[in-house]
Amino acid sequence: MTHTLQPPGPPVPRRPRRRPRFQPARMLMGALLLLFVVFLAFPLLWLISTAFKPLAETFTTALIPQNPTWANFGEAIVDLGVLQSAANTFKVSFISALLTLAIATPAAYVLARRPSPVNRGVLIWILVTQTFPVILIIVPLFLILARFGLVNTHLGLIVVYVVWSLPFVLWMLQGYVSGIPNELEEAAAMDGANQVQTITRILLPLLIPALVATGLYAFVNAWNEFFFALVLLKSPELTTIQVNLSKLRGIEGLARWGPLAAGSLLATFPTLVLFGFMQRRLVSGLLSGGVKA
Amino acid sequence: MKKPLLLSSALLLLVSPATVQAQSAPVKLRFVSLAWQTQAIAAVKEAVAGCNAANKNIQVDYQQVSWDSVQDYLTTSFQAKSVPDIFHYESTPVMEFAAQGVLTDLSKLIPAEMKSDIAPGAWATVTADNGAIYGVPFLWESLITIYNKDLFKAASIRVPTIAKPWSWTEFQQASKKLTVDKNGDGKAEQYGSAFGLRSPTNRIMNLSLGFGGDYFYKDGNRYVVRVTDKERALLKILLDMQYTSKSAAPEGLTAQSPELFAGFFSGKFAMLPGIGVWARQTIAETGPKDLNWGVLPPIKATTQAQGSATQTLSIPAASGHKKEATQFITCFVSRVNNGKLAAGDWLFPTRQSSLRGAPFQSDANGWRVASDSAKYLTMAPYQEVKGYTEVKNKVLTPTFQQMLAGRITLDDAAKQIEKEGNAILAKYYK
Repeated sequence: MTHTLQPPGPPVPRRPRRRPRFQPARMLMGALLLLFVVFLAFPLLWLISTAFKPLAETFTTALIPQNPTWANFGEAIVDLGVLQSAANTFKVSFISALLTLAIATPAAYVLARRPSPVNRGVLIWILVTQTFPVILIIVPLFLILARFGLVNTHLGLIVVYVVWSLPFVLWMLQGYVSGIPNELEEAAAMDGANQVQTITRILLPLLIPALVATGLYAFVNAWNEFFFALVLLKSPELTTIQVNLSKLRGIEGLARWGPLAAGSLLATFPTLVLFGFMQRRLVSGLLSGGVKA
Repeated sequence: MKKPLLLSSALLLLVSPATVQAQSAPVKLRFVSLAWQTQAIAAVKEAVAGCNAANKNIQVDYQQVSWDSVQDYLTTSFQAKSVPDIFHYESTPVMEFAAQGVLTDLSKLIPAEMKSDIAPGAWATVTADNGAIYGVPFLWESLITIYNKDLFKAASIRVPTIAKPWSWTEFQQASKKLTVDKNGDGKAEQYGSAFGLRSPTNRIMNLSLGFGGDYFYKDGNRYVVRVTDKERALLKILLDMQYTSKSAAPEGLTAQSPELFAGFFSGKFAMLPGIGVWARQTIAETGPKDLNWGVLPPIKATTQAQGSATQTLSIPAASGHKKEATQFITCFVSRVNNGKLAAGDWLFPTRQSSLRGAPFQSDANGWRVASDSAKYLTMAPYQEVKGYTEVKNKVLTPTFQQMLAGRITLDDAAKQIEKEGNAILAKYYK
């Protein structure tokens, strides 16, 4: 390819900026989107409102409390120990997400780069495992964990969460690895890189969006999980936040709404922060993993 | 030489500090509680601490589980044989667990004093046909009517008393009088009553007892479901109030009781009939300070009898410490504790001596009228029917909902309940 230098010509006159045209369809779309956002955000607004309402205002319909109070947060933190259970949940979720990625990444690489009837069978089996209802596996799982002394321990719960998230994470990651051209690895090999270097220096940087997306999936999955945590953890000091918050619910649709809202708000906070930081990578990761190039 | 050496070694082993410690180590029990209101949790913790202090050889760890998840929690615990030593639950599901053989028969373990003090109707809810007892009932509740005193005064309505309760006809007349179309648009702005009927079955079952409507009847050694005139009586009243006199708020058809509080607080509903005694706590704590409210005695049909389930304490068959668990229950449901636990939940203690205590006889928050209704409580027949939960979920609740929504007639509902309900019961009574 040759490049020729162009003589500098007269400056190109800037196009006059056109006044935005009145576009009813666009405005209608904007209004509809705004309505949709309000619809989506309303439960969160109501949650915030209830968290600050004193007991006497629990059943009022006003969105802004007349006498806002921090008492519900105090009750959630001091009486219920929400911070302790949030710390437990964070520990369990974070470690299980890391372990899931550590196991799924090399497995996904093999499944994507070494196609064989066995590997195809493995992929189908992964999909099949997603159809098992929790209630079907909880008892045998409990018995296995009891045999290894893992009932009523965070380690036991981490093992369960890793196993629970692994199939989906593996499926997503192998889709993403398949999307990375083989030629990149071949070029690295020609430049003298061994397989470990190829994976760590070429493949892993490209995989980061997918790792973030699937790691977040595994984290949120564990953060929101209720049933395993309920059945496996017996000691109050080990309990996770979802199980802890459920204690605020009573019979006939009754609940201690104020502390429940305050606790739920606190429980939502870490995931909101994580998503805030990772949102862009998450979206690109999900899109990339979903389509085989 | 060898024998004395062996003997002295054995003696040394027996008196060694480690052995002494092992012998005196307290038995550890796990107690699953469902108390969830602040006052109730405080009462449970206080009772557990008191029992732990009173008997150093038995130390109980308290674990709170929610009402929503306790069924799954217990089912998996029984299957995996990792059970709590004592658990708190409700008599109806407890008897279903008992039928599966996973609970301890307490009939020979319960002290005589406790047996005689707890109301016979409460014992009936946890006693099997063969006399085995699968739980200690410690709390129960009646269905009362909560009313707005100011609206009653404005409509010049006589307030029924314990001595002179309302009949259902009088109740219907009052409800109609309290239903007001304030702006003349043909639609009421104030309703006499609001029934929370989203999950209507247990309420209908328990209130029908006053008409003699049992729904479930013994036929030899099996149960069958029947909808006779006695069962129809309450259903006719509900339909009349919803669709003919229109004195019951239509919102109630799709609402649970707590969803009606806002309407009661604003004066839209003058009465909340057939609501549990627990509702007083919500009204007292979250209602407007100037709300002038009270409690009406149970409405009289043929009688004022009401069915009631009880909250119970049971011991799983797989528990390794049944004797110690019974000792704990005896302490936990002492006269004093039973009163405190009930007051914490705004329910009734099943111990008759506790119910005579001062908190339950006070006029504040309608306690005296509410407590008096405890004498009408009894076990409803549905509580001892095998397969009741399936009949309720698959037949009774959907049929009552269809009928109350006006999609099928009372006759159709009666036929549907008998046909489909008996088909399910036939599986359980072969």
